[in-house]
Amino acid sequence: MKNRSAYTSKIRNRHRTIERIKLLIVLMSVAAYAPAQQYDLLIINGHVIDPKNKIDAVLDVAVADGKIAKLATGIDSLQSKKIIDAKGLYVVPGLIDMHTHVFVGSKPGTFADGMYSVSADDFSFRSGVTTMVDAGTSGWQNFPLFKEQVIDHSQTRILAFLNIFGTGLSSGQAIKDISTINEDSTVAIMQRYRDLIVGSRIGHFDGSDWTPFNTALDAATKMNEPLFVECHLPQYSLRDQLKKMRPGDIITHSYEEITERLPVVDSSGKLHSFVLDAQQRGVLFDVGHGGAGFWFSQAVPAFQQGLAPNTFGTDLHRFSMNAGMKSILNIMSKYLNLGMSVNDVVTRASWNAAKALKHEELGNLSEGSVADIAILNLQHGSFGFVDAGGKRLSGDKKLEAELTIRAGKIVWDLNGLSAQPYQR
Amino acid sequence: MMKRLLSVIVFVLLVVQSMRAQQYDLLLKGGHVIDPKNKIDAEMDVAVSAGKIAQVAKNINAKNAKQVIDVTGKYVTPGIIDMHVHAFNGADVDSYIANGLTSLPPDGFTFRAGVTTVVDAGSSGWRNFRQFKKQTIDKSQTRVLAFLNIVGTGMYGRFEEQDTSDMNPQQAAWMIKKLYPDIIVGIKSAHYWGDFTQVDKAVQAGNLANVPVIVDFGEHDPPNSIEALFMQHLRPGDIFTHTYSYGPKVRETVVDENQKVKPFIFKAQQRGIIFDVGHGGGAFSWRQAVPAVQQGFLPNVISTDLHSQSMNGGMKDMSNVMSKFLALGLSLNDVILRSTWNPAQVIKRPELGNLDVGAEADIAVFSIRKGDFGFLDIRNTVLKGTQKLETELTLRAGKVMWDLNGLAAQPWENELKK
Repeated sequence: MKNRSAYTSKIRNRHRTIERIKLLIVLMSVAAYAPAQQYDLLIINGHVIDPKNKIDAVLDVAVADGKIAKLATGIDSLQSKKIIDAKGLYVVPGLIDMHTHVFVGSKPGTFADGMYSVSADDFSFRSGVTTMVDAGTSGWQNFPLFKEQVIDHSQTRILAFLNIFGTGLSSGQAIKDISTINEDSTVAIMQRYRDLIVGSRIGHFDGSDWTPFNTALDAATKMNEPLFVECHLPQYSLRDQLKKMRPGDIITHSYEEITERLPVVDSSGKLHSFVLDAQQRGVLFDVGHGGAGFWFSQAVPAFQQGLAPNTFGTDLHRFSMNAGMKSILNIMSKYLNLGMSVNDVVTRASWNAAKALKHEELGNLSEGSVADIAILNLQHGSFGFVDAGGKRLSGDKKLEAELTIRAGKIVWDLNGLSAQPYQR
Repeated sequence: MMKRLLSVIVFVLLVVQSMRAQQYDLLLKGGHVIDPKNKIDAEMDVAVSAGKIAQVAKNINAKNAKQVIDVTGKYVTPGIIDMHVHAFNGADVDSYIANGLTSLPPDGFTFRAGVTTVVDAGSSGWRNFRQFKKQTIDKSQTRVLAFLNIVGTGMYGRFEEQDTSDMNPQQAAWMIKKLYPDIIVGIKSAHYWGDFTQVDKAVQAGNLANVPVIVDFGEHDPPNSIEALFMQHLRPGDIFTHTYSYGPKVRETVVDENQKVKPFIFKAQQRGIIFDVGHGGGAFSWRQAVPAVQQGFLPNVISTDLHSQSMNGGMKDMSNVMSKFLALGLSLNDVILRSTWNPAQVIKRPELGNLDVGAEADIAVFSIRKGDFGFLDIRNTVLKGTQKLETELTLRAGKVMWDLNGLAAQPWENELKK
């Protein structure tokens, strides 16, 4: 009898082992056929606008390892670690602000390393912006400080136009002293930091001598990059500035109505033909809203007569952040209410800017591009928009930023689209 | 002759009267005023002159004002007081909050959220307060007041904040009493890895200067007892911040693991301990806030703990934090109370946080946006709500600092042909 129970035990054990092996085989098969979670993020049901690739449709967007992995309809949700439902929202490339002053520091009364500049991350993501271009706040002497103190610590991507004056915008106003201009040093800095610097910049010069302008233009030409022409050049006429500018060069504060520069629309409401000709020749017109740079009395007739802005630079700084400007979305909303489509405004705030900066790896949702993405909500209601003259334009559309992704990481989530619901 | 004289006198009187009638600089007309100090929660007009509140009354004649702003359908409140921010922004890349990148220049965050006064929560200590004042306080359009950190170098870094030899209650107290009684409103104790030593020193300073102490209490492993903190170490009027924080490893929570508010919490609040929200990037969790509010434990003060790690997270800005408390079921009046008059009293600045006639004209105008909103805590958990505060207009000392929809603007002549 002892032998029999030992025999039965052995059979039972063998049986158990075989069952275990069977189970293991089944599990391994399931694992082999189960879809791998290859995407970090999947944005579904959003209206994708990707101007570079001429996409304007409801599509899913998959992100992996900080890059755009795929754009298609009906991407399998199981393939992603996280799903974001963007139904009713626009999914667009992370916005690019062509004109900001973000070389923030604690020096009073100045922009360079100063309090008149603002910190990029404070304003970017909440407005769908992932790249900010500093408009010449630094020059060849203090660009390294700008990089070390600000750019390297910023989550927002910061690119920069280099001021032709060595210390950048170091006083609050236009200057006459050209002694800090050094073309060789400027070009050397532009070369050393060519990943960050996108061109040269001229502005805030009180004199009539064209040397600063010509030098900036020369430096930009040497680097095959654009020249950014700013404000406070009271002795250079608009006509002369435009004449010297090449296709691809950028003029800003396009719609300002102040004494120091001829407004683009004359007192009878007519757009100067030489201005439109310049744009048609390839000169780019940036909004550069600022505190004083955008007037409905200029922008509206100009738009109606064919001078639409190429890019929506905000001229973000201490004196524009709380004024009529507010944010790039506010500028885009002004143009929506003037008759542009969502596609039009998104194009100017993303792909147009990328092309102007010759950074065509940005401002788009191509596969392999960095996953800088903005998800925008178009509100309908009763809104007012203010210009530099304190005048209000009424409108019924306004954009707000629902979600912003920078290199695949969620950096702004207005209503918790990416969050887990609270379970009581 | 008499008749002519009489008509001349009457004429002169009428002229003088009509001149005197143009007496207000600004009139906010048709709004719903919420002024908790004066127990106003009704439709009222608010008139401003020379940077001060001139009158709060029904149906003030529009002819009596140089500028009239129509705020029908909107809520008019005292300028919001954010009692917990980090505003000592600076360019020292090795520093954390004191003169560092983690602090933020306040003006970009305040007016757009209805805030006119912020209280810096111990970013600086007595050693660097003067730099803070020169660099930030004196240069800001927001009114910046401050709690002085008991640590001399303020929040330079966690390591430096442990140095008990740099905790000098007498120096801190002198700085308040003798140098800056109008700006420094209390003492901050925070980020301490040890026992009650830092808090006790802060209270010492608080006693010497007759100011409250605000405490960020939660980096000790195992956690120090908050019951001991409330009942034995702090005094009535002292403030406990990060009230709805859920560590829970190194910070004792207000709500226990069975979702019950600990009984001594109510006792502490009755004793006079002030509970501040101090939302931050790590200190506000629905799993604490929801049961707490449901069981009747409300914060005394709503605040943001604004800094670079909270600005883009669940916190966002003061009006968003206030909206969270609407989503939790507080009335608008309760939320405004905790964002204006309560903090004003806590910091012993009763001239702030109200619309008294004669008060500085710090005013916020909100609309309540209806819709489908989500409010995030710091654990990326979302609570839904149907209302959100939107800041329409903010006045600081009578000057318009933020105007969302151009309420104070003139319409541009629209030549568009539709």
